[in-house]
Amino acid sequence: MASHGISRGSGSVVRSEEARQKEQQQIEAYKDLSDLVNTKIAEKQYTVEVLGLVTKLLHENPEYYTIWNHRRRVLVALVTEETQSPDELLQGDLQLTFVLLRKFPKCYWIWNQRDWLLQKAESLLGADAAQELWAGELQLVNKMLHADSRNFHAWGYRRIVVSKIERLGSSTTDSADTSSSLAQSEFDYTTKMIKTNLSNFSAWHNRSQLIPRILRERNADAEARRAFLASELGLICEAINTDPFDQSIWFYHQYLMSTISPSCPPNGFVVEDLTNGERQKYYENEMEYIKEILEDERDCKWIYEGLLGLAEAYLEVDAGTGAVTTKDMRAWLAELKRLDALRRGRWEDLEKRLQL
Amino acid sequence: MSLVSGPGRAGVGNMPAEMQLFVDKHVRYIQSLDTRKDELEYWLTEHLRLNGLYWGLTALHLLGHPDALPRNEILDFLCSCLHDNGGFGAAPGHDAHMLYTVSAVQILATLDAFGEFEERVKDGRQKVGKFIADLQDSETGTFAGDEWGERDTRFLYGALNALSLMGLLDLVDVAKAVQHVHSCANFDGGYGTSPGAESHSGQVFTCVGALTIAGRLDLVDQERLGAWLSERQLKNGGLNGRPEKQEDVCYSWWVMSSMAMLGKLHWIDGEKLTQFILQCQDPELGGLADRPGDMVDVFHTVFGIAGLSLLKYPGLEEVDPIYCMPRSVTRRCLGK
Ligand SMILES: [Zn+2]
Repeated sequence: MASHGISRGSGSVVRSEEARQKEQQQIEAYKDLSDLVNTKIAEKQYTVEVLGLVTKLLHENPEYYTIWNHRRRVLVALVTEETQSPDELLQGDLQLTFVLLRKFPKCYWIWNQRDWLLQKAESLLGADAAQELWAGELQLVNKMLHADSRNFHAWGYRRIVVSKIERLGSSTTDSADTSSSLAQSEFDYTTKMIKTNLSNFSAWHNRSQLIPRILRERNADAEARRAFLASELGLICEAINTDPFDQSIWFYHQYLMSTISPSCPPNGFVVEDLTNGERQKYYENEMEYIKEILEDERDCKWIYEGLLGLAEAYLEVDAGTGAVTTKDMRAWLAELKRLDALRRGRWEDLEKRLQL
Repeated sequence: MSLVSGPGRAGVGNMPAEMQLFVDKHVRYIQSLDTRKDELEYWLTEHLRLNGLYWGLTALHLLGHPDALPRNEILDFLCSCLHDNGGFGAAPGHDAHMLYTVSAVQILATLDAFGEFEERVKDGRQKVGKFIADLQDSETGTFAGDEWGERDTRFLYGALNALSLMGLLDLVDVAKAVQHVHSCANFDGGYGTSPGAESHSGQVFTCVGALTIAGRLDLVDQERLGAWLSERQLKNGGLNGRPEKQEDVCYSWWVMSSMAMLGKLHWIDGEKLTQFILQCQDPELGGLADRPGDMVDVFHTVFGIAGLSLLKYPGLEEVDPIYCMPRSVTRRCLGK
């Protein structure tokens, strides 16, 4: 959309005459090509030759969205006229968009074109061929996320691809049929990504999206659900211990805690039949664990924020046990104010809200 | 109006110790943008021309120089981007799309030129309104960007933004749109491009903006989202767009405007953020960059200045956090 992270260096901004002339030539060549494409399209010359010109122009400027639209117009015409096999055309475009995505991984229009192509392929080539193509897309996304594990577009496209594969693979229209579900393998993929880099919030996020589904699909009973929660808590606590300064980890911890809150929407529960006594136990255990980390990390504000969040949740289901004291909460808040002056206004509001 | 980045670079060398906003430099920078046809970049960014005009014009208004660009030329150019179907393209010959149509409406509103637009185009507003309304997905309530059907909460926000400025919100199913936005909410209180997508500050801005226009901020988990947004501020004062990412001036806008709509702007350090934005200026040739030392462009220039306006930087016009337009303009259009 605009220039991001492009350093100008410290050189002069004045161009040499030679550089200026070269740039004029480039401008002329670019304008000639784009004029040519636009003229041919205006004349409705939807031919293989024009498709080639479009390809050339998109290589020079993949952000030129109108040219992608022109490309679709040409492709649709070529398929209708049956001058070229749909499969051949499709492969050509998959190749083009692949090359461009590697170079411009954040360009919306290239991802859109890819999505459009696959949708078209489904109606032209049938479900079996489409199934295979979408499976190939998962490989593409893996490559893209390998290059940049936070690429927003790649994660979004991944969710589209997965839902397509699941829908095409399902032999019935019965939504209870989970034989084609990829939820478990997608969940495993997030585990892999997290193990490579704990800071990958995109992976933590996707994980949170998958959990209610895999529990449903496993028909997990009360015991299995408790075991699942315990294993997630184990994973996140280990992560906290590894790097308590990483906020993505704490957000996931907050997510897990939100699933055991009485105010969690029913479709988000991990365990469905928690008693308040159990809730207290979870909160106590987490507080204990975090306090242990505190011993070594006195200056990590996330620890105090975590403790305060747990204390607040605890008090909502408190049966008068008095395990959390106002004195503790005041002390944690004072640490937050000391360590996190940037957000002082927030801590002052919290003080009022908690009536500390 | 060009989106060519540079020529200047931000905050290298001669930045004075006492930080200030170089208003005149920025005005001249924006005025100079359309004179750079001898740079390849000018031609490669033609697909953003109408957005660029909105960015530049808005920046000039906030800087207190509303007449620094030739009004009639802007209107001529804008009308040359209009298609028969009521949608605008980025430049003459470019296809109609929601993104440019919204910019066109924002420009018309800022210039107080709806009357002239009607003189040039019969039933102009209705036509534009119909183009936007036809892009709503009647099943889910969301919006497509154009005839090809790509959907994104950015387009939904754009639709409500433009329609409300023209007083035509009743052309669409606002309740359904609200429902869709709500289905994009995540456990961290934020919003993504579509249901299930990761929270992202840009998307948070569009979703909170859409809900504010629809009068449904009650649907937002304000404590959680406010907390998540406040954690976008990094030690150097700048804001990032998602957890564990780098700071960037444009997020000064997406994050801060959302916090302003939630009444939680005091949850970050405005003083430090002001310093960070000022460091991203080019003190000699004008313009702002994403980070100190990088190339400036008009996109980061407007969002940096709009951010400073939200921070009440002295001498700037008040900006409307919902629309990213001068507050005086939205007051005139909305009557409130
Ligand atoms: Zn930026």
